[in-house]
Amino acid sequence: MSLSPQDLKQLFRRLLLIRRFEEEAFRLAVAGKFANYHGGMGQEAIPVGACYGLKPTDNTMITHRGLGVLLTRGVPVGEIFAGLYAKESCPTRGRHPIFHMAAPELGILAGTTMVGSVIPLATGAALAARIQGKSDVTISFFGDGSVNRGDFHEGINLGAVRKLPIVYFCENNFYAKSMPLEASTAGGNIVSRAQGYGLPSEVVDGNDVVAVYEATQRAVARARAGDGPTFIECLTYRWTPHSTAGDREFSRTDEELAGWKAKCPVMRLRKQLIAAGHASAQELDAVDLDIQREVAEGVEFAEAAPYAAPGVALENVYL
Amino acid sequence: MHEISYQQAIIEAMVEEMRRDEAVVLMGEDVGTFGGLTGTTVGIIEEFGDTRVLEMPISECGFVGASVGAALKGVRPIVELGLADVSLVAMDQLVNSAAKMNYFHDGVASASAVYRLWSGFRPSGGAQMSQSNEAMFAHVPGLKVVMPSTPRDVKGLLKAAIRDDNPVIFFEPKGCYALLGEVPEDDEVIPLGQAQVKCSGADVSVIATGVMVGKALTVAKKLAAEGIEVEVVDPRTLRPLDTETLVASACKTGRVVLAQEASQFCGYCAEIAALLADQAFDSLKAPIKRVGGAETPVPLSPRMEPLVVPGEAAIEAAIHSVLG
Repeated sequence: MSLSPQDLKQLFRRLLLIRRFEEEAFRLAVAGKFANYHGGMGQEAIPVGACYGLKPTDNTMITHRGLGVLLTRGVPVGEIFAGLYAKESCPTRGRHPIFHMAAPELGILAGTTMVGSVIPLATGAALAARIQGKSDVTISFFGDGSVNRGDFHEGINLGAVRKLPIVYFCENNFYAKSMPLEASTAGGNIVSRAQGYGLPSEVVDGNDVVAVYEATQRAVARARAGDGPTFIECLTYRWTPHSTAGDREFSRTDEELAGWKAKCPVMRLRKQLIAAGHASAQELDAVDLDIQREVAEGVEFAEAAPYAAPGVALENVYL
Repeated sequence: MHEISYQQAIIEAMVEEMRRDEAVVLMGEDVGTFGGLTGTTVGIIEEFGDTRVLEMPISECGFVGASVGAALKGVRPIVELGLADVSLVAMDQLVNSAAKMNYFHDGVASASAVYRLWSGFRPSGGAQMSQSNEAMFAHVPGLKVVMPSTPRDVKGLLKAAIRDDNPVIFFEPKGCYALLGEVPEDDEVIPLGQAQVKCSGADVSVIATGVMVGKALTVAKKLAAEGIEVEVVDPRTLRPLDTETLVASACKTGRVVLAQEASQFCGYCAEIAALLADQAFDSLKAPIKRVGGAETPVPLSPRMEPLVVPGEAAIEAAIHSVLG
């Protein structure tokens, strides 16, 4: 469970991969290469910390901003770019946004567009493990915008009352699209809602990848041991607009954004690695160059990938 | 063969399928020792225990969503939603999740679940306990929709629905529950998507769904004595629809009455009318007539029932109308 220097460097690599991927995705979306991208820049520590210790048989279900989960669980960079380009060379095959991607061999079940509706779905994946006598754990990712949905309450209640092997994972970036948390969510905080269902709960610094990892591992161990769900609320901040589809900025101030940028999860781990003597700046710069090359190759792959034939639209509506 | 009720046939189908395949589980409100709102889960928890009979809190979005998630991992849930009206609470999970998950997973996982809906008129039920909302679901690509009208059909079709890898919305009209009928002792599975000619006739086709099938058969018997031969056809599966059998009947008789319990506007029969206009137009000798419920929420008082719920008289009148 404790992280070696080697693990920390792996975490750094994954954080930076998400960052570089998203920078490129934003650039390409704005350049009109594909229609839209829902970014989560600044939130990289959450998918990396949450997914780093999972087994491929564990399930994850994501939100619109689940790119980091897809990357950390092992979907190749090129395939995801191909998904954004709506090309064939992605499990989505040009039919769905990437957050509907399914890759069961990597433990990835399709997420949904309806905010919060993955929570009951993920609870069902955990219910299946219980019925089938398996030790698989499910992580249900959702944002602060989900917590006023009935699905949040119905799903978590069901998971809690049946003590299912699931981690309810709230990425609280303080804005549901443009709606500030304090204007949308009564009670002053989110975690007390889970506590109302009797769940062990933690509020974690969502920009500290090690803290996210450790909290998730505690929750996963609890779930695997049959002790039921845990609720984790990660506090973080989205640097980027809701999406690239011409969204206007809203009530966020420059000062607020600057304050959170100072807490950048990637820079934070980089400094830790260097300060602890686990890596030199040069070594980490080399990792960065390697990642930039991987991202560039992914874009090349997507650019060259074929579009699916229109007839693909009609496949597997029914099995 | 043995004679059992429609309700008993549902129990037999579920029990036999749960014995056959341990992936099949039963979920819903009060489905344990209470026996289900519909009385169709009686005795099941006693045989299969509470790992396969999962009593759910009143939270339809929650447990319908969970049934879809469990199905993606290989469980085959039968979800008793009780009243068809209740399905509307879970519409997001049924239409946005269940219906799309096979498409999202592209063949690598399936939302193989059956949603059992107790539909239609119930004496003194009122507006939220009496709806027939099959057309809402039949509209959705990705869903299959079944509405059996006899004990034999409900057993064979429920077995097929449970074995199907797609989400199936399974309508069980309340008016059919007490019907008795012969059901084979062996494992009869009636494939989804096959209509059945319930009685053959040369003069007029009545294509009826659910509880209207029995009413049409009663009318057919009565009119036979008057020398009018009525053919009654039951689609049984509303999606996918056996268009061939329906078109063949329309072409044979040239006169068509469509009958549904649901209110008529934008109802399922409109789809059949469009089908026949497209594929049987040259054979039709009269305009297609529809029989359906009144354009109103279903009221409480049994005295209002005859005005709101379509009955045999309405079918008979429609038949005379198309015969000219």
